[in-house]
Amino acid sequence: MQYLHRQTVIGLFALVAGIFLMTVAIPLWVSSPSNVRNIILSPVFWPYTLSGLVILIGLGLTVTGFYSSEDMTAEPAEVPGGYRRLIIMAVVMVIYMFGLPRLGMVWTSMLAFVATAFLVRTAHPKTALICGLCLPLVLYIFFAHVASVAIPQGNFVRLP
Amino acid sequence: MSLIDSILAGLSLVGNFEAFFALFVGVAIGTIAGAIPGLSATMAVALTLPFTFSMQPIIAILLLLGVYKGGIFGGCIPAILIKTPGTPASSATVLDGYPLAEKGQAGKALGMALWSSCTADLISNLSLILFAGWLASFALNFGPPEFFTLMLFSLTIIAGVSGASLLRGALSAMLGLLLATVGLDLVYGTNRFTLGDPNMMGGLNFIAVLIGLFAIPEVLSMVWDPKPHKAQTRGLGDNKVNFGEYKRCFKSIVRGSFIGVFLGSIPGIGAAPSAFLSYSEARRKSPNRENFGKGELEGVAASEAGNNGVAGATLIPLLALGVPGDVITAIIIGAFMVHGLQPGPMMFILNVDIIYGLFIGLIVSSVFLFVIGSVAIRGFKYVADIPRGVLFPGVLVLCVYGVFAVNNNIFDVGVMFVMGWVGFVMLRNDIPAAPFLIAFILGPLLEDNFRQAMLMSGSSPAILFRGPITWFFWALTLLTVIAIVRAGIRATKALHKNGAR
Repeated sequence: MQYLHRQTVIGLFALVAGIFLMTVAIPLWVSSPSNVRNIILSPVFWPYTLSGLVILIGLGLTVTGFYSSEDMTAEPAEVPGGYRRLIIMAVVMVIYMFGLPRLGMVWTSMLAFVATAFLVRTAHPKTALICGLCLPLVLYIFFAHVASVAIPQGNFVRLP
Repeated sequence: MSLIDSILAGLSLVGNFEAFFALFVGVAIGTIAGAIPGLSATMAVALTLPFTFSMQPIIAILLLLGVYKGGIFGGCIPAILIKTPGTPASSATVLDGYPLAEKGQAGKALGMALWSSCTADLISNLSLILFAGWLASFALNFGPPEFFTLMLFSLTIIAGVSGASLLRGALSAMLGLLLATVGLDLVYGTNRFTLGDPNMMGGLNFIAVLIGLFAIPEVLSMVWDPKPHKAQTRGLGDNKVNFGEYKRCFKSIVRGSFIGVFLGSIPGIGAAPSAFLSYSEARRKSPNRENFGKGELEGVAASEAGNNGVAGATLIPLLALGVPGDVITAIIIGAFMVHGLQPGPMMFILNVDIIYGLFIGLIVSSVFLFVIGSVAIRGFKYVADIPRGVLFPGVLVLCVYGVFAVNNNIFDVGVMFVMGWVGFVMLRNDIPAAPFLIAFILGPLLEDNFRQAMLMSGSSPAILFRGPITWFFWALTLLTVIAIVRAGIRATKALHKNGAR
């Protein structure tokens, strides 16, 4: 089986995205007042124009991809298990975001720091643990007490 | 207001300890961040931005400009000592810097890098002071059609030159423009892609998008391939640059500085091409051209002058026209907006004290760069030893705190994470992120000016060609597209030829 050039794949994605915007997203999610007489001044004009350009660029990428000899192969990871780590990182990010209002920013950040350090296979676990405890606290002190930002405290342990 | 009055007004704003301290701290942060392989000047400025929200505008902007200048210089330290450019702009410095370090003359290479960086920085700052006011007074004649064509030109050149392919750059810019349409319509106030969520009615937060695009992908790249940093740091040696060597390289330094000023003042080109052009010009003109690439001091001087010459000049389009010259100035334009300032020609009338305050600060920053650079060269060993397995989790936590602090909104943190994944996919597919971010910033201005022009003309597109200024920008846009397409065709032909061989 002959693989498509990456530029062609990007072009096809752009084409699909442009068509989706024109046929589904803009009609559904961009509202325009009915009394706009001239399409150029309508709120949908700019999104439609940009979607049209995305389709054109997508076409250009698809076609040029067939003739391109540019090497776009991404460098393979030296450490195996990259996709697995990325999936775990995505889960860490989701938990991080939803944990912020419940656990509080400081405690969630500590957990996220340690989890990320583990994911990037830190060679200094003790340093990572100490930094994971200290950095969120230092940032909390700066943002809460110097910059007066209302850092989320969570439902369990509240900091002064 | 006379020139003296303007300078005095600027001095009254920055003539205090806080302003100079912020500038000093900024240069120090930038130098350290630039010297850490994996952190870039862009990331440093982006991560520093949230810490400036509680500061006065002038102090905040001086701090960020300090980070910018320090970051550009800092990149040369690992380039010379461990053959790893701290920033893309320092790639040309590796060519002669590392061979010098191998010969045991790292101290000499770093010293020359520092002297040429400071000289170029000063020349660049003076050019900014000289040209920005002139350009701004000219830009006062611009109306919506002129601004529309100017921004169109800026976007074309940014999309064309910031990646390997014009089409991929253009796609990136289009996606940025589309993302900028999220929120309430500028004229009618109707919803556009808000999905009924009140968080999206004001549009996506600029800082969340920016940090997501430029910092999170680096964390994800580290997760994808967590290889440790293996490069070996070279010793400095006892060698220092003497005045004779500086004098010998002076011509190349000045030439490189002006190349930097010229390329820096054109939106989108950035420091790396300037450094390479300056290096190749120095090699072409030098009597020691055979030594280039083998450890020639003049090569280090030329490349560092080229990349530092850009730093002040990128502020010319930013301050005079309100158009960012590169990604870092795009972040700085965001800082201006966060602090309620709109860079552009009107700023030279309404906020002349801030403009002159910045000019004074920038001149002083060259001195600070020299002082901090001298210390940083000696302290690099400690910076290079920061384990990446601790650094990147720290960057993640810093990003979350910083983005949350903008609006006290967890939704922004989500936007940052999503944009981080978008940025990572773009990175893996060679789609440049710079046009995306700059288009995201210029998008509302571009649309606003276009619609204002249409309102003025009763929807007649002829207004977009109404006079010499618009013709000039249309011609430049056309020339840029032709030049980029021709360069692309030539590169493809060369690739085919090499493939056939």
